[in-house]
Amino acid sequence: MSMETFLQIIASGILLGGIYALLSIGLNLIFGVIKIVNLAHGDFIMLSMYATFFLFTTFKINPYISTLIVFPLFVILGIIIFKLIIKPLLGKGETEVNTILATAGLGFVLQNAALMLWGSDFRAIETNLTGKSYEFAGIMLSAGRFWAFIVCLVVAGVLYYLLMYTSLGSKIRAVSQDSDAATLMGINVNMIYTLTFGVGIALVGIGGAIITPTFYVFPTVGLYFNTLAFIIVVLGGLGSFTGALVGGLIIGLIETFTGVVASAELAQVFSLLIFLVILFVKPEGIMGKGARV
Amino acid sequence: MKPKLSLIILAILSIVLLSVYFLPMPIYYKHVLILTLFYAYMGTAWNIMCGYAGRLSLGHAAFAAVGAYTTLILYRGLGLSPWLGMIAGGLLAVCIMMLIAYPCFRFGLKGPYFTLASIALMEIVQNLLTFMRSLTGGSLGLSLPYKPTNFALFQFDGKETYYLIILLFWAIAVFAVWKMERTRYYLEAIREDESAASALGISVNKNLIKAAVISAFLVAIGGAFYVQYFRYIDPYTIAGFGLSLNLALVTIIGGSGTIFGPTIGAVILIPLSEFLRLSAGTQLPGLHLFVYGVLLIMTIIYLPKGIASIPGIMNAKKIRKANIKNAAAGGSGVNE
Amino acid sequence: MSNCILQVKGISKRFGGLQATNNVSFDVYENEILSIIGPNGAGKSTLFNLITNFYTVDSGSILYNGKDIVGMTPDAICELGITRTFQVARPFPGLSVADNILVALLPKSKTVAEARGKVDGILQQVSLKQKANSMGGELTTLERKRLELGKALATDPKVLLLDEVMTGLKPKEMDEMMDLIRELKKRMTIIFVEHVMRVVMGISERVLVMDHGSKIAEGTPQEVTSNPEVISAYLGRGTGNAGN
Repeated sequence: MSMETFLQIIASGILLGGIYALLSIGLNLIFGVIKIVNLAHGDFIMLSMYATFFLFTTFKINPYISTLIVFPLFVILGIIIFKLIIKPLLGKGETEVNTILATAGLGFVLQNAALMLWGSDFRAIETNLTGKSYEFAGIMLSAGRFWAFIVCLVVAGVLYYLLMYTSLGSKIRAVSQDSDAATLMGINVNMIYTLTFGVGIALVGIGGAIITPTFYVFPTVGLYFNTLAFIIVVLGGLGSFTGALVGGLIIGLIETFTGVVASAELAQVFSLLIFLVILFVKPEGIMGKGARV
Repeated sequence: MKPKLSLIILAILSIVLLSVYFLPMPIYYKHVLILTLFYAYMGTAWNIMCGYAGRLSLGHAAFAAVGAYTTLILYRGLGLSPWLGMIAGGLLAVCIMMLIAYPCFRFGLKGPYFTLASIALMEIVQNLLTFMRSLTGGSLGLSLPYKPTNFALFQFDGKETYYLIILLFWAIAVFAVWKMERTRYYLEAIREDESAASALGISVNKNLIKAAVISAFLVAIGGAFYVQYFRYIDPYTIAGFGLSLNLALVTIIGGSGTIFGPTIGAVILIPLSEFLRLSAGTQLPGLHLFVYGVLLIMTIIYLPKGIASIPGIMNAKKIRKANIKNAAAGGSGVNE
Repeated sequence: MSNCILQVKGISKRFGGLQATNNVSFDVYENEILSIIGPNGAGKSTLFNLITNFYTVDSGSILYNGKDIVGMTPDAICELGITRTFQVARPFPGLSVADNILVALLPKSKTVAEARGKVDGILQQVSLKQKANSMGGELTTLERKRLELGKALATDPKVLLLDEVMTGLKPKEMDEMMDLIRELKKRMTIIFVEHVMRVVMGISERVLVMDHGSKIAEGTPQEVTSNPEVISAYLGRGTGNAGN
């Protein structure tokens, strides 16, 4: 393999990793703070992709602008879903198992609602970025992915600032480390949970909007992202913020590399095997014990 | 439920279902019956590990796929009778289960982590099946070459014999669960409190692996039945999340951790989904899955132990009322 | 002199920076009632956890009838005949009281029917017959303690480790429990961790005193309570106190 090819793979892998990280940050937040697994994660990405698609085809709104609409909408959606489905399950026995099942059911609901409303056709949008590439030192960077990567960094930066430097952020971190102690210190844990879920879903919404120009949109597209997101979140470290970024980059690089050298399916298998190994050996992930930044 | 009572119910149900065989009915109804019994059987198998032992696996389709593909490939390649191929598939599924169960239980993988691991396993199987195209036909799937009615080749024209076979499988599975009374209690104790169970002399690892292996074997056999009946499989259906979730659904809605729960769930859900599929047809594709999703959510929130738990809940209410009355009337109420 | 059924030899356990158990050795004789006392945090419950291998000792050995049981799984140790109760009772919440007992009986019964036959007897022993059909998760604290004891007895132990069974009992209930322990002593060896001095003085044949992970005294109740080291470990509390 030539040096150029190698560098190309690295570059593409990093860009892909950025996208994956962007799509996983929301899941990481929810998993890390509320300690539940949201199996409908990918389906919220799907919803956001459809929303972006319709905003673009009906109102000609650029996906990057749609994020401004999608974000608040999805915060509200997240809060509603939390109150209806998640909250009744918290605090009773077998919370974790029940939330997995309930969100699996939610996934079915979302996928098939999409199927019934919008049909199974693959949709795609063409923006000014579609098909464009930038060249940089002999390496081709897909324009869509490049800007998605930038957005990922921005979002990550904002979230980092929020978590580390605001009082709300420290409350969120407190709740994720020890919700009982947080209650005793006067933090309204329920409100933090609700807010976190809403923001987590909204982050997913941003991710979905950004990637719409580069992926086909169809009802079951969420399934593809689901597994990926979980691998990244566990790999990087549950609740560890930088872990999600690191995990995303690692998976992005592995997938690109294996995809070129072997095949797409083997790339998946490889990521899944790594996932299993991490689960067995160090479920806290590469960055270590849950809920730190 | 008293042990003998369950056995009686099983016998009665078997006789009823057996006599249905003789009733004339449209072919489609026969198909629905077969499908119902199929999911009742698969759910019963899934329930052994996931209902009684409480380790939620959403990747069991992996074992169905192993059973199905092994049977089909051995037949297509070597002409091996599916009856034997199915045993081979079952054993292969057991090996794979041991491969994953051992580290899972040894590393104490529980709750959501275990579930995610099971999903990962299923996806690995799905990807490998797609990848090994020359052997498995890849994403295009693999079909069973048609042969007229031949028992040794496990192929029949008409649905009646398939019905009898799946009825037999179901009855055997339910009977096996009934017979495993001791193991069921152990698994329930492990589900409720692993450390406390261990302190009472119950080997957690041994029992979990036992449950996992039996469940994998039975599900693989079910996969073999699937391929012989439908005569076609592909990685997305037989090794897909949809099938895994269906097994979980019929069990949870019917009542996990009970002998007849999965059967109850299947009897309610399968005809319902077929009915929805027929009436909504092409206008609302996926309606039945949508309804499944809603039912699952509502069950988890309002009736987590499923329909079979309703008598238990009423009973507990009665006992609670009696306890309150006792306490009010008799002072400390603890010593009689 | 009855034979030595359990020998703890120089066991130690460290948790991070804390030396929870520090080179503790003692012998336990068949059919005796031995109590372990000490101020809070002395490491008494940890001792139980180490003997039944809920934690594995860092060093030392534990001989049961001459055989070293260090590193054996808790269920294997129970099978051999050593059963412990938990300080905070751990009933199986989703099973009925009767089923809780049944589960405990099963490992040592040949058939399920045989185990079923013994459930009533155990319920009677711990005065829970009335609550047989209540769910394990719906019991009062007192009832949970009784269930905990019932489950332990169901395993037919040779050595019974009781962890603070008296906490929260009224004096009359304490007397009943002490009578029960005296009864049990005929069939098994009893080691119990206790804070309530009345009980310790009332039924122990020998007492072991722990402080900060080490054994600081061993002997009859009288010997131990007049030991100045023991008295200073409790900061002035001695036999004059009524305990709790």
